[in-house]
Amino acid sequence: MARRLIKTCSGGGLRPAEKRPDAVIVHINHISQSKKPKGNQRSPQSELASLVTGSLMTLVEEGVLDARLAPSLRIHLDWIQYKTNFRDPVIVRRTTNPQGQVLPLAEIAIDLRQAEASRLPEELARAVQNIGAGPESNGYNHLYLDEFRPYRDCLIWAFNRLFWRHLGDWEALSGKGFEAALPGGTSDANHPQAVHDSVADFWTLLRDLENRSQLPQEIVGLEIGVGSGARAAAWLDRFKALDAQCGTNFYSRLHFILGDYSPTSLERALQAVAHHGEHASGIPLDALNPEKSLTKYRFKLMYVHLTNVYDNLPFDDLVRRDGKLYLVEVRAYLNGPAVDRLTADFGLTRQELPGIVKKLLDEGPYAVYPGEKGVEFWRRVWDTFKLEERLRVLDDREEDHVPPGLNRTHLEDLLAEAPDDVRFHISRGAGESFANTLPLLHPRGYLQVQDIFVSDMDDYRKGFRGPGKLDGSLVTWVNGALLRAVGARAGYDVHFAPFPYRPGTKTSILYTTQRD
Amino acid sequence: MSSPLPILPTTVIGSYSMPEWLERAKNEYLSRRLSRRDLDEMHDAVRKAAIKDQEIAGIDIVSDGEAQRDNMIDYFTERMPGVQVDQGSKRFYYDFYESVVRSKLATGTLGLSEEAKFLGRFTDHNSKISISGPHTLVKRIQNKHYPTEEAFALDLGRMLNLELKELVRAGATRLQIDEPYFSGFPEDVSWAFKAINAMVDGVNAHITLHICYGNRYGKPSFEGSYQFLFPAILEAKVQAVSMEFARRGEDDLELFKKFNVPFQVAIGVIDVKTNEVESAGFVADRIRRGLEVIGPERLIITPDCGLVRLPRDVAFSKLNAMVEGTRAVRKELGK
Repeated sequence: MARRLIKTCSGGGLRPAEKRPDAVIVHINHISQSKKPKGNQRSPQSELASLVTGSLMTLVEEGVLDARLAPSLRIHLDWIQYKTNFRDPVIVRRTTNPQGQVLPLAEIAIDLRQAEASRLPEELARAVQNIGAGPESNGYNHLYLDEFRPYRDCLIWAFNRLFWRHLGDWEALSGKGFEAALPGGTSDANHPQAVHDSVADFWTLLRDLENRSQLPQEIVGLEIGVGSGARAAAWLDRFKALDAQCGTNFYSRLHFILGDYSPTSLERALQAVAHHGEHASGIPLDALNPEKSLTKYRFKLMYVHLTNVYDNLPFDDLVRRDGKLYLVEVRAYLNGPAVDRLTADFGLTRQELPGIVKKLLDEGPYAVYPGEKGVEFWRRVWDTFKLEERLRVLDDREEDHVPPGLNRTHLEDLLAEAPDDVRFHISRGAGESFANTLPLLHPRGYLQVQDIFVSDMDDYRKGFRGPGKLDGSLVTWVNGALLRAVGARAGYDVHFAPFPYRPGTKTSILYTTQRD
Repeated sequence: MSSPLPILPTTVIGSYSMPEWLERAKNEYLSRRLSRRDLDEMHDAVRKAAIKDQEIAGIDIVSDGEAQRDNMIDYFTERMPGVQVDQGSKRFYYDFYESVVRSKLATGTLGLSEEAKFLGRFTDHNSKISISGPHTLVKRIQNKHYPTEEAFALDLGRMLNLELKELVRAGATRLQIDEPYFSGFPEDVSWAFKAINAMVDGVNAHITLHICYGNRYGKPSFEGSYQFLFPAILEAKVQAVSMEFARRGEDDLELFKKFNVPFQVAIGVIDVKTNEVESAGFVADRIRRGLEVIGPERLIITPDCGLVRLPRDVAFSKLNAMVEGTRAVRKELGK
């Protein structure tokens, strides 16, 4: 739930609300009744929120917050889905014009989940001071690793690649598998009842087509992002059993393709489905463009499934404020105090650290330190790794934020249904993957995706949906509304259903139906 | 205008690339933020440009590109006396309106003769006009009056027959009936051709029947084989049939050899469901395969279906490749 409060913040206490020049807009996102403790106590969130407004008043009274700054200042109080994320508890976001020159509008964003009451007033004061300082002031003593870039091009993707390349090393040091890091401690992909129902839906489609004499001789299915192969194996086992039970003889015509960009994952998954012989095969493919590897299956796939693939693909964030559209740009840094500990523990100087991190990302952990020390260094850097944000006004002619395969019309469709004041994803990787998968579908085939979706643009008002850290990789919400717009232009209606198999899960299921 | 055609004449199915800005304008019109007059001006400009592109590409029988049609249903149902259309039922121009027939169709013109006059004014090439057929319309208009789909289709055939004759009076010499829904409903074939014959009865023009697997949103609506059409299609009183082959492969061409069809055959040699532009050589190969079963005097060269979902540069390049490939084969034939 979102609340917008207009507080006045100049000296002498509250002023009448109609004195607009002194107003600061405070967004409090994600207020939840269920979080409130029993009795008269306020929730920690509520305490922190009141501390913020109180501290702001004090800053004005003490002259730290210039009253002239107030009208162009916004405060965002967020409750972030992923507690481990890329933000420090209090951050400043400046706005710039397309050339990077600083504009008056500024935001202070507080992650209420990370913020500590004892330090909040001080951190808020420092943030306010930093707004007034020059753009390169570095009042936080961050160790910057990069320039400002859009999310799609920033260093988190280098860390993400490193993680998937050296997953085994990471897991060995942590002593637990990646799936244990998932919110439910296990992958929703493999839930037995979900697999059971998925097979039943597919079989029903096949039977209907068979009754109309429209079922192709070869029935082709595809899973993109195969994990351990457990889901594909469970799905095929169940399909075979159901087919035998009903005597429909579909299994003999089935060819199930496992697609993944990682040869290691593919090999592991193929072992898991080996007992299905020629009914299963593997193909290396780029999740962003499945059509490229599967051209010969254009308009032939009856079923395509993905779980938790889209949430790990590149994205951008756009912000609309006062009718203007901004691109969120980020600058990677290592948090100041943590840098001191890191350099001390690994015997490095502050100046050496960026070069060593680059080497880590380019060549892997063992190129930096031998054995476990290299992985330990990687984990420590990742823990310390943060992103500073700024909002850059989008030039009307700029198109780089439009994902491949999509066009400005898709974005216009999306913005038409978006709230006026909003921050939202352009899930470019998911959009590209989706747009490049749809042409593979048979006229009666469908796509099914299990992931964390924001299915309605209005939901972006209700909370910060930015990226979080998931073990050594990253995860972010997927803009389902964007996929709906992409689907509509490609002749598909896109629907979202809750994932009913695990209580409390944020996962939902996207599925497509053909538009008339 | 009608002038002599070369051997292996080239033509389009009907629609040409729809500019993205025109799509937006159409949506604006639906939202009442753009006037009909302004939209019509845009349509006319795009139609002239479509004709010009086809002429430059060297197409022998051109169309007006059909930019004025939102889709292959609404353009007709909106004009049909007796069909009620819910004008508020769509926001995106390409969607279909909800439409219903509650009483016997009245007799009245659809006003398509304007298209014939437009073509007559803006091109001196041979030209054609396409109209959705009764079977396709029956599948999209909710029937609350006729006892059966067949009865509805036959009455639509009667009404459209008058329209075809109107078009001929306005100067049209080549007409095409589009029936993409045949492929999804093979069980309807027995009565679907009766409706076609009712539609073409006594119409003094060269009439082509186009049957494909659909091209909504640039993707097929159905899959299968043309086998279901035979032998019923032999009863169709048309001068040519036009079919999609480029995307699906030429296996079904054998049917034309087996059944010795009495009409010309227009074969699709351009896949309209991909932006990848075929080379002229590739097109020529497809034509050569067509010639293995159909004599050159009976073969017409077309894309698989309308070009509406392709970007303009792609559509134009594909037409150029089609013409170039056709010319290469003509040369081989000594024509």
